[in-house]
Amino acid sequence: MFSRQALFWFSFPYDLPGSDARFLRAARDNCAYHIRRCPEYRAICREEGFAPGQLRTIEDLSRLPVLPTLFFKRRAVFSMPSWRMAMEVTSSGTSGSFSRIGFDWGSILAGIPMVLRLGFYHRLISCKPANCVVLGYKPHRSSRAGVARTMFALTFLSPPLRRAYALKMEQGRYVPDLDGAVRALERFARSPFPTRIIGFPSYLWFGLKRMEELGMSLSLPPGSHIVLAGGWKQHHSRQVERPVLYGLARRVLGVEEDRIHELFGAVEHPVFFNACKNHRFHIPAYARVLIRDVRTLDPVPLGQPGLVNLISPLMTATPTLSVMTDDLGVLEPGEACGCGLSSPTLTLLGRAGLRDITTCAAGAAQALGKGEAF
Amino acid sequence: MIFARGALLPDARLPLVLDGLEEELAGSLSLPPLVPETVVSALDALGRELDGGGLDGLIAQYAPPGAREELAQVRWMLRPEQLEYKLRTELGPPEAGDAPFGRRELRPLGVLLHVAPGNMAGLPLFTAAEGLLTGNINLIKLPREDRGLTPAVLARLTQAQPALAPFLWAFDLPSSDAASLKRLAALADGVVTWGGDGAVEAMRRLAPPGCRLIEWGHRISFAYLSGPPDRAGLEGLADHIVRTGGLLCSSCQVIFLDSSDPEEGEAFCRAFLPVLEGARAGQALPLGQAAQAALYAREARLEHMLDRGGRGDVFYPGRGCSLTLRRDQSLELSPLNGNVLVKCLPRRNLTAALRPQRGRLQTAGLLCPPREREELTDLLLQAGVSRVTAPALMSRSFPGEAHDGAYPLRRYTRVCDIVNSK
Repeated sequence: MFSRQALFWFSFPYDLPGSDARFLRAARDNCAYHIRRCPEYRAICREEGFAPGQLRTIEDLSRLPVLPTLFFKRRAVFSMPSWRMAMEVTSSGTSGSFSRIGFDWGSILAGIPMVLRLGFYHRLISCKPANCVVLGYKPHRSSRAGVARTMFALTFLSPPLRRAYALKMEQGRYVPDLDGAVRALERFARSPFPTRIIGFPSYLWFGLKRMEELGMSLSLPPGSHIVLAGGWKQHHSRQVERPVLYGLARRVLGVEEDRIHELFGAVEHPVFFNACKNHRFHIPAYARVLIRDVRTLDPVPLGQPGLVNLISPLMTATPTLSVMTDDLGVLEPGEACGCGLSSPTLTLLGRAGLRDITTCAAGAAQALGKGEAF
Repeated sequence: MIFARGALLPDARLPLVLDGLEEELAGSLSLPPLVPETVVSALDALGRELDGGGLDGLIAQYAPPGAREELAQVRWMLRPEQLEYKLRTELGPPEAGDAPFGRRELRPLGVLLHVAPGNMAGLPLFTAAEGLLTGNINLIKLPREDRGLTPAVLARLTQAQPALAPFLWAFDLPSSDAASLKRLAALADGVVTWGGDGAVEAMRRLAPPGCRLIEWGHRISFAYLSGPPDRAGLEGLADHIVRTGGLLCSSCQVIFLDSSDPEEGEAFCRAFLPVLEGARAGQALPLGQAAQAALYAREARLEHMLDRGGRGDVFYPGRGCSLTLRRDQSLELSPLNGNVLVKCLPRRNLTAALRPQRGRLQTAGLLCPPREREELTDLLLQAGVSRVTAPALMSRSFPGEAHDGAYPLRRYTRVCDIVNSK
């Protein structure tokens, strides 16, 4: 699987044409690997009449069998025994169900240069130690939530001094402690070291609103950053406009807009998308994105909205080569952004079937992966 | 949020409220009985407040998007003439009235604990209203999804009609708080459980012996087609399938054909798929829901490839929908969201095939030549179905309908005999 390392150690993180050849080779190898090792993936490729040899040009990526994230929620599919994996993580399960995704050691070896390269490009990496406030889950051995691990890993973009968490494990469940996070921010504001806030945008919004209501106004030390990751979760209906959130961060924390970074990724597709200075997600060289028609699932041209299909040969423990998220999005030419990057931009437009699925048909709740709430 | 005696209390007061509840309930039980007219007029006033937009603020604040539309569909149930019709149908003679030995009276069961479902806004209130109509004291265990809507509406209701206050309590308990649920169940004469098997089993464990269990569990429904189907009937069925997405108790999961010939099954699928696709295309879904349908159709196809290919299933993929022809005769859950199963089930096997789902059967959408309708209806009812209708109307509510084969109001009452002393 050297083709994968060749792609992820590629020096130009946003050069899509320059990385096409490496990407195709890695995708072919990755596909062949899963066909060899994963009986489910093999069966799907056979039924769809797909073989890795059909990937000749970058356009051929649309022919890869697409697996919806729902598929990974309904069944655990792996291409290697668990003892060979580095770890197994779960998606955040906004709607009550989880994907189980295995990470192999090679994907971690490939992920490191990717994160470093993108981190340097977006000036997220600093050697100055920082205090961290994580507006998300505190990692706990009983939880395999990928987002908790991601946020924990993000605290290492600069040497972490202290960490405070807004969600803590108490008696086997996570309980929010926004007030504790606010108190930590007050403490960190008096420190000579910068602060890093890492977390869900919804939590940042609720936290900042609360602080504003309490009449609080801090001035975090110079060099402080806010890194937003993980989407709006169950608070989707209260999603706020970005400029409003940025304005609030400036007023309450003294953090300017250019110090607010947004990340996009998924457990099923752990390639980092970093927003550029104009807050757009350009596609990095480690991934390709297709937008598919919401009815036919055929790829649509730039500018047309549809379902977001993420493709990356990063993972060998789980066949996540081509994954269809529940997200709706649109691709636009990168040049139109004006930030200097030419790779196309992905704009997320919301989720498919946003309304929570509720059912009273016998057995349907389990089939929908909802678990049984009462 | 806790709703107790007409007041909203914070959740932290739960232990205190539970400690005093037995005494409170004993006090309420010795009050003069609640007459249905009081309840009917209070519910009517609430319905009119809903019409006038007086509840919109509460709904916007607490309920998920789409709740307003859901409530509009069940609004008619709160109309006085509907409530009176319901009372007459469900509680009417011959149970009440004079008897050779003296007289009969219907009395409330006493205290009902409602384990309310989260799958539709307004249902916690609806189940409590049924309890009130029969004069019961109602303890409502709110679903997680309620987020304070029901207590807020109950506060409005009891402000307008204070006589109802001693009869309504609501608790925002997590289902995991078995200790508190058990304490509530210990005080109840009946436990009304809405929900799936998990909820029903949990409440069976928690309710004390002697407590009446009233279970509105999840149900499963199907369509039964005999003879050459007419176009309008098929269109009605297709419309029903894509509109309900298979998600309701009354949604068609399997289309059974009165035939034992697999080729007839294949011919039906080929003919019906375009009708189903047409219904899907005619739906004018918002982008997000169309995408969801496509995702589920894709998922159904993948599942078919992995699980069923070897068993002789035939898969008919359509746009945002699909049909799967299976060789067995059992009634089972479909892949949902416009992806439905087709099976051959000759009428002589009907009872045997449906028997494993006894206790869960609900609606049969029957499409057949008129002269056979009577006979097939009879067969379906014998097999345990509790409603037979046209496929297009499977999920339509109507005045006077029974709830899964029972009259709820009757289940919330006791028949009392008063024997002449001479």
